[in-house]
Amino acid sequence: MGYASTVKMPFGPQHPALKEPEHFLFELDGDTVVGVTPRIGYVHRGIEKALELSTYGHGLYLAERICGICTVAHTCCYTQAIEELMGIEVPPRAKYIRTIMSELERLHSHSLWVGLVAHEAGFDTLFMYAWRDREAILSLFQEITGGRVLHAINTLGGVRRDISPELADKIRCTMEYFEGRVKDYRRIIRTEPTFLKRTRDVGVLKPSDAAKLDAVGPTLRGSGIKEDVRRDDPYIAYDEMPFNVISSDGCDVFARTEVRVEEMMESIGIIRYALDRMPAGVFRVRAPRNAPAGECVSRVEAPRGEDMHFARSDGTAKPERYKVRAPTLANIPALCRMLVGIHVADIPIILAGIDPCFSCMDRMVVVRGGRASGTLQSKRDV
Amino acid sequence: MVTYEVLQLIVFPGALFAICLAFLYEWVDRKLFARVQGRYGPLYTGPAGIMQPVADFLKLLSKEDIVPRACDANLFFAVPVMYATLPLATLFMMPIAAPEALIAFDGDLIFILFAFGMMTLIIFLAGWSSASRFSAIGSVRSALQMLSYEIPLGLVLVCPAIAAKSLSVSGIVQWQAANATLGAALQPIGLAVTMVCLLAELELVPFDIPEAETEIVAGWRTEFTGWRLALFRLGRDLEVLLVAALVASLYLGGAQPLWLIPATAMFVVKTAAVVMVFSFVRALFARLRIDQMISGMWKYLLPIAALQVVLVQIGVGV
Amino acid sequence: MSIAGEALKQLRRRPCTIRYPVEKAKVPNGFRGMPVWDMQKCILCVLCQNACPPGAIRLIGKGPDAEIEYLLDRCIFCEECAEVCPKRAIAMSHRFELAGFDRSKMAFRFRKDRQVQGQHDAPKTSDSTGKG
Repeated sequence: MGYASTVKMPFGPQHPALKEPEHFLFELDGDTVVGVTPRIGYVHRGIEKALELSTYGHGLYLAERICGICTVAHTCCYTQAIEELMGIEVPPRAKYIRTIMSELERLHSHSLWVGLVAHEAGFDTLFMYAWRDREAILSLFQEITGGRVLHAINTLGGVRRDISPELADKIRCTMEYFEGRVKDYRRIIRTEPTFLKRTRDVGVLKPSDAAKLDAVGPTLRGSGIKEDVRRDDPYIAYDEMPFNVISSDGCDVFARTEVRVEEMMESIGIIRYALDRMPAGVFRVRAPRNAPAGECVSRVEAPRGEDMHFARSDGTAKPERYKVRAPTLANIPALCRMLVGIHVADIPIILAGIDPCFSCMDRMVVVRGGRASGTLQSKRDV
Repeated sequence: MVTYEVLQLIVFPGALFAICLAFLYEWVDRKLFARVQGRYGPLYTGPAGIMQPVADFLKLLSKEDIVPRACDANLFFAVPVMYATLPLATLFMMPIAAPEALIAFDGDLIFILFAFGMMTLIIFLAGWSSASRFSAIGSVRSALQMLSYEIPLGLVLVCPAIAAKSLSVSGIVQWQAANATLGAALQPIGLAVTMVCLLAELELVPFDIPEAETEIVAGWRTEFTGWRLALFRLGRDLEVLLVAALVASLYLGGAQPLWLIPATAMFVVKTAAVVMVFSFVRALFARLRIDQMISGMWKYLLPIAALQVVLVQIGVGV
Repeated sequence: MSIAGEALKQLRRRPCTIRYPVEKAKVPNGFRGMPVWDMQKCILCVLCQNACPPGAIRLIGKGPDAEIEYLLDRCIFCEECAEVCPKRAIAMSHRFELAGFDRSKMAFRFRKDRQVQGQHDAPKTSDSTGKG
């Protein structure tokens, strides 16, 4: 005693474990984390202001670029909000295509995440395999939409490209292959002892904490709470889809991994169901240029959790206010709870465990900080 | 005669040969590791990228040398040199071209064990001298790791010596040649324990804890750049060769001619096989945490190593 | 160890990556690469200019001197221009290796009177004069 008993260790904004700049200041007592202070806002891009300055049609492409991984989720959320403001009904075929795209995106995002968490655990081979198999989904995207990452398929009033029967067969074929791969991941993750050692009982988030701190998505469902916007507040064609909301009672990183892998299986089921029952007809209706004055909140279950957009229009061709709450932000308080009391070596895997996408969320905090309360937003405040 | 011996030390089977072989094995390791993961690995430098390790080494030599202001300058200078030369010097005790090593004396096995301990000490000094948080964590982890694998390794390496009644690596190779047997056939448990311990010595997955990239950047190597990093990489390659040579000599018969195949070729084949096993195994695991690694080593590996000693003592596998 | 079977299988298979600069990836039909103007069809109606979200397309000059300026460095490859074109004069080519060090080489001008035949898939820089 006499000396300070804790050491402060910075983590980020540049760190190999973080693919995006974000800063966490850890307070260490030996090898144990006793406190953590997140400092967010490094990748503020001013996207909300840019959305308010662009027309509804152009804003779509900004919304697409909020997140590179969840582009379909963000455009779904955007189009949903704006279509409600404009009062247009999307044709059923377009709804099915959007559903298929959303689920394909979930497959690609979750397999990316499985790879990342394996990489954080030093399991580079699984990382390479997961990304190798994700390539099948990306080339599928390329065929359906013409773009591997930014699909530009959702548009106001429907979708821009149809899924032809040949393409549908191709998707079915890929799903066949991918299902086998996901089963393989499931087997590897459940049986590889070194991976289990690194993920079991690591980053524990109790169900009560998860609910209290408003965790979303697989982080929440990994703590045993069955909450999924697709089920609780069905959007696009999810009310017609049969699927299970996956949850796991493990409350640790392993449970989150399991939830994601099982969700991939469910997604494959949804895609097959939607392909088989796709209604015929048009896939796009004309959207007006202006939206009548009004407000709208739209919620979407992005692969990382609940994504929420808010739009207010004043009758012109541009939104008066547009606001985005990306899923990562909702998980930050829960993340800080998980990070206390752990070993230093477990920091990266817990951080990766929430599937963070810092550039998605940073825009939002800074804008709030500049304008209003300056505190972290929680689900209930919005 | 003296010039011949100097030539032997410097060219073949001494320093130059060892360095070339070390670079070759880095390529083998990278290529196999990449193929396991579905990648090509080095591709463009030389045929199938075989010159890539040399090119990397030369490139690093030409890079900017950055010395942190807070570091211990003398140590910071000395550590890379020591790290590269120690495995090279130890390699002279390995029978490469003939069953008799360049330098062979009774007890060189103990010197090799001591060299492994010294390597870890150098790593610790490297982390210490660079005065960085990541390096400090890495070097402490490295030292902790040594505490866990050193004892089982020492125990099992004694077993071939007991069997051959010689504390010299060359003696053990000659004993295997004379009795037409392999250490691996007599002491499979010992071989397995040795491989696990040497994985930890080489800091390969699942024991790459001291240089865990996603946790502590590059661990104890974080602050080293330019020629220092080049020497560290060379030292690492030589260490891989040393470890492969040790396994090949003690358990696979080492450098003894087979029919018309010369001893050197046998040595290369055997060590390459060991390197390939290492790079295949390191693709199969996730990284353990330091506490899990230490408790695993003490709980499981040490009793198994002790069992091997008991077996040898009661006459099994001699 | 549970990945060992898959690892052994992968050893017998070809790597899944490609030797990129030597071996190019194949892109499917409908790929959204760099847009190309067919100036024989173009009527200079500037619908593409209005549709372009980042403002990468501009009409420069008047009358017979009118040119379409396309800024590759601003383009987001969304295909809105090709979709909105009443004459189907814009096609998304299959070119995807568009990165460069010099932004001044990323401005292309398409002129109505200096057209070259057959420009659908591979635009040549001879047609599109680089702007300084």
